[in-house]
Amino acid sequence: MKEALIGDIGRFSGHDGPGIRTTVFFKGCPLRCPWCHNPEFIASRPEIAFYPDRCIGCGDCRDICPEAAMTVDHIAQLDRSRCTSCGLCVVNCPTKALELAGKSYDVDELTDIMLRDRLFYESSGGGVTLSGGEPTAQLDFCSALLQRLSGEGIHTCMETNGFFAWDDFQSTCLPYLDLVLFDVKIVDPQKHRQIIGVDNGVILTNLQRLLAARPDDVIPRIPLIPGFTADKENISHLAELFKQLQVRRCSLLPYHPFGLAKAEKIGQRPDSSLPQKPMARETLHQWQRFFNGMEIIEP
Amino acid sequence: MITLDDIGLKKFTLENLPRLKELRSLSFARKPEICIERARYVTRYLRDKADTSDSPEVRQAKKVNYFLQRKRPVFLDRNLLAGSTTSKALGAPLFPEFFALTLWPELDTVSIRAKNPQKLTDDEAKELNLEIFPYWMDNNVLEMTRTRISEEKNKGLAESLGLFESLVFFIAAKAGCISHAVPTYKAMLEHGLTGLISMAAEREAAARAHASDEGDRQADFYHAVQISLEGIIKYAEHLTEEAARLASVADDPQVKQEFLDMAKVCQRVPAYPATTFREAINAIWICQVGIHAENINMAMSPGRLDQLLYPYYQRDIEEGRLDIGQAIELIGCLWLKIADNVTMVPEASEEMFGGAGTVPAITLGGVDADGEDAVNDLTYIMLRVTELLRIRDPNVNARYDYEKNSKEYCRRVSEVIINTKAVPAFFNDRANITALMGQGESIEHARDYAVIGCVELASSGRDYPASSSIMLNLAAPLEMALLQGKRQITGDEQIGPLTQDPTTLSSFEQFWEVFKTQLDWLIEKAIALNEEMGRVHQQMMPSPLLSALFEGPMDKGKDLIQGGSLYNSSGATHIAFADVVDSLNAIEQTVFIDKKYSFSELLQMVKNDFAGADGEKMRLYLKNRTPKYGTENPIARKNANNVVRHLFELYQAHTNYRGGRYRPAYWTMTNHAGLGGVTGALPHGRKSGELFASGITPVSGAAPELTACLNAVAELGGECVPGCWALNIKYNPEGDIGQMTDRFSQTIEGYFRAGGQQVQFNIMTYQMLQDAKKHPEKYPELMVRVSGYSAYFKDLNELMKDELITRTMYDLSNGQAVPYVAEKKETTAPVLSDPVQKIFSFYEKQGERLHDFLSSLDQGEHLIKTLLKPMQKILGEHLEYHRNIADFTGSYQFCSKDGVVNIAVIFHNGMMKLEKNKIDNPDITITFRDVETLLKFILAPKQDILGAMLRHDVVTEGNLNYLYKLGYMGKQLQNMLPHLP
Ligand code: SF4
Ligand code: SF4
Repeated sequence: MKEALIGDIGRFSGHDGPGIRTTVFFKGCPLRCPWCHNPEFIASRPEIAFYPDRCIGCGDCRDICPEAAMTVDHIAQLDRSRCTSCGLCVVNCPTKALELAGKSYDVDELTDIMLRDRLFYESSGGGVTLSGGEPTAQLDFCSALLQRLSGEGIHTCMETNGFFAWDDFQSTCLPYLDLVLFDVKIVDPQKHRQIIGVDNGVILTNLQRLLAARPDDVIPRIPLIPGFTADKENISHLAELFKQLQVRRCSLLPYHPFGLAKAEKIGQRPDSSLPQKPMARETLHQWQRFFNGMEIIEP
Repeated sequence: MITLDDIGLKKFTLENLPRLKELRSLSFARKPEICIERARYVTRYLRDKADTSDSPEVRQAKKVNYFLQRKRPVFLDRNLLAGSTTSKALGAPLFPEFFALTLWPELDTVSIRAKNPQKLTDDEAKELNLEIFPYWMDNNVLEMTRTRISEEKNKGLAESLGLFESLVFFIAAKAGCISHAVPTYKAMLEHGLTGLISMAAEREAAARAHASDEGDRQADFYHAVQISLEGIIKYAEHLTEEAARLASVADDPQVKQEFLDMAKVCQRVPAYPATTFREAINAIWICQVGIHAENINMAMSPGRLDQLLYPYYQRDIEEGRLDIGQAIELIGCLWLKIADNVTMVPEASEEMFGGAGTVPAITLGGVDADGEDAVNDLTYIMLRVTELLRIRDPNVNARYDYEKNSKEYCRRVSEVIINTKAVPAFFNDRANITALMGQGESIEHARDYAVIGCVELASSGRDYPASSSIMLNLAAPLEMALLQGKRQITGDEQIGPLTQDPTTLSSFEQFWEVFKTQLDWLIEKAIALNEEMGRVHQQMMPSPLLSALFEGPMDKGKDLIQGGSLYNSSGATHIAFADVVDSLNAIEQTVFIDKKYSFSELLQMVKNDFAGADGEKMRLYLKNRTPKYGTENPIARKNANNVVRHLFELYQAHTNYRGGRYRPAYWTMTNHAGLGGVTGALPHGRKSGELFASGITPVSGAAPELTACLNAVAELGGECVPGCWALNIKYNPEGDIGQMTDRFSQTIEGYFRAGGQQVQFNIMTYQMLQDAKKHPEKYPELMVRVSGYSAYFKDLNELMKDELITRTMYDLSNGQAVPYVAEKKETTAPVLSDPVQKIFSFYEKQGERLHDFLSSLDQGEHLIKTLLKPMQKILGEHLEYHRNIADFTGSYQFCSKDGVVNIAVIFHNGMMKLEKNKIDNPDITITFRDVETLLKFILAPKQDILGAMLRHDVVTEGNLNYLYKLGYMGKQLQNMLPHLP
């Protein structure tokens, strides 16, 4: 718990809660959504991201690699099976063609970075958002960080997939959170397990409990993914569920293909059925209509 | 207090303000014209009338008065305000006291040159060539300084002058102006100029009664004040008469009425106290015109007009004499009047530094003397006018106190910036007031600060800051620290002190000391020259007229130039700050901490401009992997802070000739492009000739995160930067203006809370600017922020256009820099020049064969002779051409550094002589790097003297005016050649 593995820190993010925010992307996630926006934060260990268009083929990475994981033929080639993610090649690459996703921080270090933009949070009603990956996968650390931040008077927010142990979350994190953005994807349990790899029972129960405990501070969000979540049946089921749970505000996240390029950088092949184009505005508005009566928060 | 229903005043548009619409389109349609009126009358006065027993102040006052009495009152459009800076609709007045003679070589071509031509009639060109310029050959500020230095036999100062004239170390701006001031018009509006004159008369009498040297000096000063102010009154009388005459001949009843109204206004102001809003505005405008009879039109800033004019506005509104629409119209008329003049720019400087206006700054909003919200209805009216007109001048600036001013105000200013894409600039009250208080200004006075020119600060009418005295290139001492006192551009010459070889240093701290040795040496040189020029100004260019519009001079009986103002200071601004900090960072991290490269490896590659694959690899490493100013890297922060602190302490330790301290600042106009273009490679991975970053802005691409960038800049602010800075930020325009305005103003507030002093914006994309460069015709009105002022993009030189294009653009939706993707560059082959063609044909007509001429090209000496011989011949044959030298005595020495060429040209007794050797005491020596550069210089499409000097192809020693004169004779000759038998 002393340290957490952090994928990245995004300053001035405008889409992870109100105002100007700093977002901490925790590395590691128990779910496997094929459309993940941040595929580089799924694995719970550091990974090397490679940007071939920046590589000049100089060979410095190969020369320094202790595991002989790098070869260079015009441009560098990484054998991920040998790579230990030691990061030596990254600091030696002259062009930033190699980047390390995943670095350990302790609470002090992270708090220090979070506080740098405090004046911007104050001027805009912003704050800090914990995201990922899945922050609750490193729950103890989240708790410690949130305590510190809320002690500093900073507005805190968490983006979660809802796959956490309620008791722990409720007692260690929730008291220090001002807002929870809670992702819900698929209602049908079987489909959920099949596509995402885990049961949605825990997730839906957690949503229900959270709404009961802090109805004003939870915004359920649905990623609209053609072929996975964005179909009539699933969306109308979700809308019904939200009504039952007396959801007042919710958010729909239109599909965007940036996850695809990112997956390639870490040597993965994304699901080929995912569209290459972002979702059209009109399509988003169509789906929003299912949620009549609720306040739709624009992402 | 705000009484407007809508602070945006959205219902007032150019469509329902037809007068402003027409005047605005005129302002874009007008071509600048050179106005020689002032040059003519000040020359006549000094040459024919001046009384040598007059004190400098009285002589200056009489000179100004002589001109103002004769200045033509003109009404050239339907503007409601009377008075104009020059006799032309868009005029460039000439100030032969400064650099007007640089126009000499192009007297016949300035009207038709490709880049930003300025119209000049043949008769006026002739008058300048034969009547006006010859008087000033030895008499402008630069030459007076040179004479003084040589009479004093001061070797150190001669060295300073040499450094300045090589242009790549520092610019001693006093050779071109002091101006840069914010007067106060309060007393003028309340008492009228007649009131100020009687006050001066009383004090003159009292001082005379003292019968002491000091008393006499004061009395002379008060006397001078009266003479100069009477000049303005005389000019206003002429305006009255002319307006009345025009009214009497006007057919259109509305036009008639407008002239009658103007006649009535000028009959009253500025002689007597202003009673209405309109009178107050016109009084201010006529005084601005008067100021420019005395001081050059460079950053003479009207200041806080929303505060000054508010009582007049409020009374007229309350008493039903004025409505908001009329107020907008009058303010619009003032804005357009302020933009009625440009500076005369010679072609060479146009290439290097073109596109600037005259940068009169207006300052809006902020707090009052008690520290309370000073934003009023007039502030919003002025913002609306700025938003509607979108013109280069005046330079409008908005002050913002995040505790006292409302959020709506901040949001409204942000909205105007987004809509105009460029103006106004934003100033942080808290930080700037702290900065001025650090200079010993009282809190009430500091709170009454206004912006001067680009970004500099001064308490309105109390602070005479000569804010643009020194412009110092920080890359020069850095290079000298790397090369033991030498620079790449000046080659083997030992310029700075011989400091320790950097490759022998064992710590970064040692290198920092070496850098400081070079830096301090250079600054001492620059300050010494500025002091000397200050003394020349004291003799030659006092400002009794401007002094009357300041607090202090009238009490002390002392002109501004003698230290009469309440606060006195001199400003020094710095070029290449971000590049130098990044170079220090790169050296510290790579050589001393990581030991990735040794100092000698680094130095070798820098000298080779990172040539070859290894060089490129190192360059990319330095560019991508070393700490950057504009991030929160601790090394970058430390070095940036150290440079700023060191400069502050160094300058503050110096007292100027007026008894004030030197104030450092960070704004660069277009010098960062011009100087970057001639500076060799630097250790942060910058290749030779690449542009420097502007103002205090981080290097393009070095600061990927907006908030980190703003934090890194902001922490430098406050006490240590009393001259203020220009931070340039470019934003990606967004579809949703409302959302963007919110984010925009929140970001400003955060940056200000962190201590940032100033920021200015361009709201445009890389692609749009690239397109505007390719298709200027599509963007005739595109206005951009350069570094502290606005310019029309089409007017900028190619380097500056590139600089604007490549500036980091941030996306306000995520605070990240959008990576810049360069376009492919096209290269153009050099062309042989027209003049040489003409000389070819001349020789052919003379029966000489072309190949004889060509074979002489390998000998520079022959070439000069070949070029000068026709001149000699035609001087003998053509009476008109001979007038150039009828009364002219002058000697020129041409040399090449390699010793191959030695030619002297002597004009005397109406004769021209060529000599093949060295002569004693030439008026000017022109040394070319070698025969090749001489050829290049002569064969280039245009003889770009300044450019050649910047690149160090040519070094001159002596009076530059002689070169300008010869340049004109040469050009005239070229035009004659084809027509000769
Ligand atoms: S060090 Fe970087 S640029 Fe060089 S080959 Fe490796 S990845 Fe490519
Ligand atoms: S991270 Fe380490 S092991 Fe992996 S490729 Fe780079 S140097 Fe080799």
